[in-house]
Amino acid sequence: MVLLTYLLLSGLTTGSLYALIALGIVVVNKATGVINFAHGELFMFCGFVAWMLHVQMGVPYLPSLLLAVAFGFLLGVMTDLIAFRPLKNANIISLVLATIGVAFVLRGTARVIWGGKGDYLPFPPITSPEPAMIGEIMVIPQQLAVLAGAIVIMVVFAAFFRLTRAGKMMQATADNAKAATLAGIRVDRIYMLAFGTGAAIAGAAAVLMAPLTLLYPDMGFAFFIKGFAAAVLGGLTSLPGAVLGGIAIGIIEALAGGYLHSSFIEVSAFIVIMFVLVVRPTGLLGATGLRRV
Amino acid sequence: MTVKQRLKTAIAGLVMTVAAVQSAQAQVPGVTADTIKIGSFGALTGPGYLYGKLPMNGIEVVFDQVNAAGGINGRKLELVREDDRCDPAAAIGAVKKLIYEDKVFAIIGGGCSNATFAARETLVEAKTPVIIMASVHDGITTPVAPNIFSTALTSSLESAAQLQFALDQGAKRIAVISMRDAWGRSRYTPLIEAFQNKGIKPVLDEEMAPDANDATAQVLRLKAANADAVIIVLYPKPAAIFMRDSQKLGFKPLAVGQTGIADPAAFEDQVGSPGATASFRTISMVRYTPEDPAMEKWRKAIEAKFPGDRLSVFNLFGIGSAQVMVEGLKRAGPDLTQEKLVAALNGLKDFQTDVYPGGITCAETDHRCHKSPAWIAKEPGKPVRVLSATKAE
Repeated sequence: MVLLTYLLLSGLTTGSLYALIALGIVVVNKATGVINFAHGELFMFCGFVAWMLHVQMGVPYLPSLLLAVAFGFLLGVMTDLIAFRPLKNANIISLVLATIGVAFVLRGTARVIWGGKGDYLPFPPITSPEPAMIGEIMVIPQQLAVLAGAIVIMVVFAAFFRLTRAGKMMQATADNAKAATLAGIRVDRIYMLAFGTGAAIAGAAAVLMAPLTLLYPDMGFAFFIKGFAAAVLGGLTSLPGAVLGGIAIGIIEALAGGYLHSSFIEVSAFIVIMFVLVVRPTGLLGATGLRRV
Repeated sequence: MTVKQRLKTAIAGLVMTVAAVQSAQAQVPGVTADTIKIGSFGALTGPGYLYGKLPMNGIEVVFDQVNAAGGINGRKLELVREDDRCDPAAAIGAVKKLIYEDKVFAIIGGGCSNATFAARETLVEAKTPVIIMASVHDGITTPVAPNIFSTALTSSLESAAQLQFALDQGAKRIAVISMRDAWGRSRYTPLIEAFQNKGIKPVLDEEMAPDANDATAQVLRLKAANADAVIIVLYPKPAAIFMRDSQKLGFKPLAVGQTGIADPAAFEDQVGSPGATASFRTISMVRYTPEDPAMEKWRKAIEAKFPGDRLSVFNLFGIGSAQVMVEGLKRAGPDLTQEKLVAALNGLKDFQTDVYPGGITCAETDHRCHKSPAWIAKEPGKPVRVLSATKAE
């Protein structure tokens, strides 16, 4: 039972990070129909910005997080202006290549700025680094902080989409861009907002994750792949699906590693995804493609 | 013959001699009457700069000291750097540029193993003498290439040394945690062979991905197997996660690292959990820490040449390999050819440098010239210290 509890807790923590990354991917895809392949690099870049603010400039953690989120939003807006808007009428391959180009530019820039400061940069924990006992379970307080932070961020963004005018306009554009245009919604702005919001979520995820792991310029792609897998599992257009997919992948990885062998950690989630997509091609909570008339 | 005729004859003879010497030198790439051009390749940018730029800085301060003392047989040493960004394709390009455009006489280089391994064929074809400064991949030096020597430890030597160290420390239940990418396999395979050679089996054989962010599952399995030593074949990032989660779960085995985690002080920061690295030991290619008083001369040289830099263990890799190259050039004599340099390097027997734990010995049948790993550790709140130097075969 203790083993299971440890594995579930570790899977939940890792999974909540995957969920945050997946959320950012889904927000952009839902609004624009494009997978932003620069999402992992936006995540990485925001992590380094937070590191610069917090470690190098001594800015407290919370303001660093907020500034990194704001910076992420701006980077996302720039991605829209540079890689999406000029090509929005081009075919999907061109759009995908443009986002991959942005990813390379961001990674190269990070290598120049932060690549020469050590191979892996540590980010100080926001809680005590000493493990603590909760019942029979030993936990790192930082893990609980990450879990709590991820839940807060998910709730904030859920509220944004459900309760704010901008969020509702994004939902409307995602459902039917032409109808949204006819209703007076400026879809270009909505696309820009989607890219900005997606990158802001990536920024929040990066700052939450940074104290648990280490920062390095090439880290983005590995996180993107896990987030993308979570988004696909969840349905690619469903925000709750992204959260569910991320947490499911985190828990599947932990259980496979604990009960089978550690060599199954990396492949187990993908095996489950393949199985789910065979049975349910739209993902766990994806739209079925049927439209009521 | 009049005095005037004798003078004319002497001048003509002198001119012909100088022309002949210059002609002979012109056929030797990178060598003039007063310079020898040495190339270097490795990462100057990106996270791999530790294994590229920093050793190159070490090479440069050795060359400066040699040049200040008059050079080698009157020739000053010049270093030409090329960036391979730890990328195999870029390494091939960098090596080709050094050999065919810059026309260097010899090369001291090779930071990231996979990049250097990719460049091996180009180096062998060109027959340019090479000393590998930091790359550890076995395939770079095995099978023996006539012109490629290594002053870095190799992965199989390190793997055997890891197991021997655990046994020497009294470990009875030794486990392995490894990455299975190209880098990891180049160490994991010889490690398992070393186990087989000793007639023992690891009590558990776990894997971890290079980008893993959690090692709870692996640590729980190792703890359940009651391992008293874990041989770590991981990069610093997953190794830091593993040590942190070991601490979290109260698992405190002897943790045996390798030169992929060459800086225990930086590693302690990366782990970020107080006391988590107390039982961590790792291999160093050099016998001194940068803070050791014996390194004062090189510390001053690095800080003077590269303001803002502090002497690093990676600088020492370059210093050692450059000293070996300098010795080879001296032994090759004033009529320098690449063949003579190769022969001189093949003749090195127990050559002592300022940095390596043991002597450098090369032979025509074995160009793994450095076989003396040093063991280092950092206890919490204390500086890095060298525990011992061993001999690996």
